[in-house]
Amino acid sequence: MFKSKLTALEYHTIEGFNPEDDKQFRALVIWLEEQKIRHYKVEDRDPLRDLESDKWPIVFNSYCAQLSCPITSGKKAERLEWLLSHAIRLEYSDNIDKFSTQTSTEVLKNRQNTPKVVSSNPLDNLDFESEDFKKGVNSLAKLLQITPHPDHLITLRAISKLISQRLTAEAIKDVDSVVPKGKAYPFDTVDDGFEKGNKAVNSASKILRLLYLHDLRSLQTKINESIVAVQNLTANPKTDTSLGKVGR
Amino acid sequence: MVVRQYNEEMSYLEKTSAFSWKIKKGFQPNMNVEGVFYVNQHLEKLMLDELRNACRPGMIGGFLPGVKQIANVAALPGIVGRSVGLPDVHSGYGFAIGNMAAFDMSDPTSVVSPGGVGFDINCGVRLLRTNLTEKDVLPVKEQLAQSMFDHIPVGVGSKGIIPMNARDLEEALEMGMDWSLREGYVWAEDKEHCEEYGRMLNADPSKVSMRAKKRGLPQLGTLGAGNHYAEIQVVDEIYDKWAASKMGIESKGQICVMIHSGSRGFGHQVATDALVEMEKAMKRDKIETNDRQLACARINSVEGQNYLKSMAAAANFAWVNRSSMTFLSRQAFAKQFNMTPDDLDMHVIYDVSHNIAKVEEHMVDGKLKTLLVHRKGSTRAFPPHHPLIPVDYQLTGQPVLIGGTMGTCSYVLTGTETGMKETFGSTCHGAGRALSRAKSRRNLDYTQVLQKLESQGISIRVASPKLVMEEAPESYKNVTDVVDTCDAVGISKKAIKLRPIAVIKG
Repeated sequence: MFKSKLTALEYHTIEGFNPEDDKQFRALVIWLEEQKIRHYKVEDRDPLRDLESDKWPIVFNSYCAQLSCPITSGKKAERLEWLLSHAIRLEYSDNIDKFSTQTSTEVLKNRQNTPKVVSSNPLDNLDFESEDFKKGVNSLAKLLQITPHPDHLITLRAISKLISQRLTAEAIKDVDSVVPKGKAYPFDTVDDGFEKGNKAVNSASKILRLLYLHDLRSLQTKINESIVAVQNLTANPKTDTSLGKVGR
Repeated sequence: MVVRQYNEEMSYLEKTSAFSWKIKKGFQPNMNVEGVFYVNQHLEKLMLDELRNACRPGMIGGFLPGVKQIANVAALPGIVGRSVGLPDVHSGYGFAIGNMAAFDMSDPTSVVSPGGVGFDINCGVRLLRTNLTEKDVLPVKEQLAQSMFDHIPVGVGSKGIIPMNARDLEEALEMGMDWSLREGYVWAEDKEHCEEYGRMLNADPSKVSMRAKKRGLPQLGTLGAGNHYAEIQVVDEIYDKWAASKMGIESKGQICVMIHSGSRGFGHQVATDALVEMEKAMKRDKIETNDRQLACARINSVEGQNYLKSMAAAANFAWVNRSSMTFLSRQAFAKQFNMTPDDLDMHVIYDVSHNIAKVEEHMVDGKLKTLLVHRKGSTRAFPPHHPLIPVDYQLTGQPVLIGGTMGTCSYVLTGTETGMKETFGSTCHGAGRALSRAKSRRNLDYTQVLQKLESQGISIRVASPKLVMEEAPESYKNVTDVVDTCDAVGISKKAIKLRPIAVIKG
């Protein structure tokens, strides 16, 4: 509520302003009077400044009357709306010259004057939907033995994953560090306990499970790494053989 | 207790398949649900003989036979599904050891019973792997056994070598394995491969008596006595290559370390304190049970909550305890082989607890329910894809570590869907006693027991040799029978068999 008007007046708390909250409401009224409207003399503003006072609503009523506010219904939000507009009118009439030059054509011109970032990265200027690009992705996939997905962008993601994991300089230097060791899971022969009656669905379910386990493994590895990092700070294993006693 | 002839008793038992028996309602008074137990031929004989002996005239007092105990548990308020006896079931305090029972959390009359957890709260097994093979270890076996014995204090009255004060203990009780991690005794990956991630979040040390803390403080980082042990084991057989490789077990002959220990005197005191408190609660809430040893309290009563919170603290104690011994075993190996534990690849494969009560979600009659699952001498065995098992075992199912007895084999199983449906994701925990401790002491001679181990090529270091006959393989059921039965019923699946080459014992 009142967001654009408050912004125009450069009020300090715009987000979360609630006119129904008496404290916020009164604070805004005195701020408007002191900063923008300046109807009272400085010393006459005291009653309005006394935010905690029980008489504040009466003071406010007479303030509105003196400003010849046309709204007499007493609804807070409506009066505030008028007060804000009044303040904006005053602000405008104080600086007519400055504001009247700000026509839409002027604003547009200023905007165009700001320097535009021209990407030097040729990839940014590619048309990702062009036939050429699609063909390129697919032939790259073929080269890397990746099954192409109907959506070439997904294929591209798969390619990127493979390259960043397996074809980095370090990975090529030390192949063992990236190629998983151990025996392969006997995927076809193991019964996973669910039989969906359709071979393709079964395989897909099994693959999903394996992918989930893969994620879980990397999560567990990260947990272990965190524990080890903490251990570096806390660990101090001690033994004292003089305490030991073998029983009977 | 109902007094009947053996034949009459048998009319309440029905063999429903080659490996399972049903205990019908009426076997014991007020049974809310039926009972079930899983046995093969050998175990069946042990089970029924125990019942027959109890039916002889004049047999009063002492422990009730396991079947009777399973039935008494079925009569507890709030129990759902069935009262389950696993293949290694044998009589214990209140609940049989090898009995699991689940109670509906939404039923206000449901109970929690310390007897359903046992005195050694969160007694459990941890398995470490190494990249050593039997060839590497055999020449230095004796030295290695001695080095382990020097590092890990064992026996009744033993004291740990990790300095701790009362404040450390308070923190450890609250944080469980996170404490061991913070202090640098274990690796981040150890936490990942531990049931409940090594920490019961509802632990409240302020609910634990001073006496329990006093007993527990010096014992942290000690193995204890009884059936507890640390063993150097060799992979003897791989049944499930895929699951084994997920656990880092690639071939026969690979060396592992198994640690079987619990919460020592601390857990015992917590259980004792709770039993005293609950007797009063039972009178107040008018809870009737078939057996005085089945002391219990409503889950949402003050006594019930106090027990669950202090039990969780004791569970944390046990995890810190096993973590400290993991640290010490790694040190022993590192010194012997002049390599870091990292280079020896001494990762924790898994850590299971087989004496614990936990809140879990299960399907009961097609509906999802929140249950308080008591597992006493029973191991959790969750199937593949269960959200509470580590990511590394999502495809294989939870590893279930079954410690044999001194000198016999141990097994690694994996959890299954069948187990989830039949036994609320539970399976056996070990061999299970066949002879009482006293009987073992009378019937066996300790020098013979030690000689026999030696002839099997097993190095042994034991703090109190005169008690080894209590733990001799002859005193126990055959662990292979137990594991094969679980595998045959399908409540868990065999993956690896291990055989010991060195034993450290209390």
